[in-house]
Amino acid sequence: MDFRNVYILIRKEARDSVKNWWFVLYTICFSALALLLLFLASSRSEIAGFSGFGRTAASLINLVLLFIPLIALVTGAISISNERENGTLSYLLSHPITKSEIFTGKFIGLLLSIWFSISLGFGLAGIAISIRGGGGDISKFLMTAVLSAILAASLLSVGFLISVFSKKAAKATGIAVFLWLVFIVIGDLGIMGSTVAMDLGIKQVFILALFNPTEVFKIASVLTLSPRFEVLGPVGIYAFKTFGREGLFYLLLSVMALWILIPLGYAFLSFSVLRREEL
Amino acid sequence: MIDIREATKNFGDFKAVDKVSFSVKAGEAFAILGPNGAGKSTLIRCILGTLDFEGEIRLNNLDIKENRKEAKALIGYVPQEPQFYDMTTIEVLNFFGSIRRVNKERIERVLHLVGLKEHVFKSTSALSGGMRQRLSFGIALLSDSPVLILDEPTSNLDAYARADLLRLIKKFKTEGKTVLFSSHRLDEVEFLADRALVMKSGKIILESTPHKLGEVLGLKSKLHIKLPQSSIKTALDVLNENGFNNISLNGNKLSIELSHKERILALRKLLLAEIPVEDFNVEEPSMESIMEEVQQNGL
Repeated sequence: MDFRNVYILIRKEARDSVKNWWFVLYTICFSALALLLLFLASSRSEIAGFSGFGRTAASLINLVLLFIPLIALVTGAISISNERENGTLSYLLSHPITKSEIFTGKFIGLLLSIWFSISLGFGLAGIAISIRGGGGDISKFLMTAVLSAILAASLLSVGFLISVFSKKAAKATGIAVFLWLVFIVIGDLGIMGSTVAMDLGIKQVFILALFNPTEVFKIASVLTLSPRFEVLGPVGIYAFKTFGREGLFYLLLSVMALWILIPLGYAFLSFSVLRREEL
Repeated sequence: MIDIREATKNFGDFKAVDKVSFSVKAGEAFAILGPNGAGKSTLIRCILGTLDFEGEIRLNNLDIKENRKEAKALIGYVPQEPQFYDMTTIEVLNFFGSIRRVNKERIERVLHLVGLKEHVFKSTSALSGGMRQRLSFGIALLSDSPVLILDEPTSNLDAYARADLLRLIKKFKTEGKTVLFSSHRLDEVEFLADRALVMKSGKIILESTPHKLGEVLGLKSKLHIKLPQSSIKTALDVLNENGFNNISLNGNKLSIELSHKERILALRKLLLAEIPVEDFNVEEPSMESIMEEVQQNGL
């Protein structure tokens, strides 16, 4: 792999993101809502035992859960399908550049763009907290930002997998939005429904939760922020007692890493090695 | 320079390219003729390495399957309908220039060559069809690749832009580039190509020099001439005297069916007889008629 070509693609994707008004709008909304949540959260002295940076980070979890999966899934889903549909991918491939270089450059470029949005939201909130006198543990705030970045990477990977197997950008977007609904809206209800319908034990419910990257992020974030593991509910208590705080945290991190590596690896192999017919 | 041996491409049960073999020498201009769906574009995409295929394709002795990237570096490609990113002309050239590892001076030179210097800051979406094709041609010239591959480069251009692009291609052919292009226009093939092959349903059905192609097929062109009403009778007499018999008359317009090499001869005879020709045009045989001829005569 020629990393100069990868770098050219990274630069192009980053530049395209800045020119994409949807992406700019998303970044502005995410940053503005992060600041709004900061002020709403700071109007109360303490929420569930959090204060300062910790309190803001706790407020940001729901915002992250709403925004980041959507933008990462959709951005990933249209990344290759759109180029395939409008013919630019075929034209690009007529030049001395390989599919693996294109895939890698596009993924890193888009991931950096999403990370920039996350950094801007968390960064502005962090600056505002510091100006207002700070308080709380900044490392927890930073860890939430890092977990958000990992969540973005995992869902971008899923988005790329959708993209590799979609000939039309509209179809890819539809699948991405449906998956977002499954992960965010139906996810919790699904776990609850399955628990009741199939009479699942706590262990099975915990395993089921690991199949949803947004659930994994939620548990890891709460585990990072809260000194009290009861906040995690009965499943959390089970996991906490089984693996310990540190063990559970590393388990969740590993699961999130798998959520990045498995879809991304499969998408990479399918696009770069196996499928050449669709162009 | 280009060696193709038994290249075959299947899409499911459909054979888009069926055991195609031919060679193109360095500095030669080679045309692939054929109607829509003949397999021309698929064959070109196999040569570019953007489609997998059975058989062997070598560029400058490099096997395209084993040295895809190195082989692609030897090719400048002009697609039928170039699709660019949402960038300005100069941004597009810089982007592909960086992939081709060329410097700013070369990009400047290419801008000059394809006459787009005044449009560098125009968005590619604001460029006319002719300009887009020129930009695509400019990208193909960026790294001064020895091989130019053009997939029906003039199919979406008006007459002026078409003539303009053909002159440009001819210029680079004269300078020694190997040119492989597909077309469904016989006049283009005659103007540019040293050799041509005709494809149908994925197979080569004829390979010849372009001028012999018309002869071999016995193709007829139609010369349409507009004359003053008062000159019609004299013109008919002149044409009959010179052996042009397949003439139809519609108002003050004469239509003469001619063999490929007689096209200009009839016009010359009229001008020599001082008959005032108001307008004329030549209707080339369609690709369909070529195919019909090929099928009937079984070449």
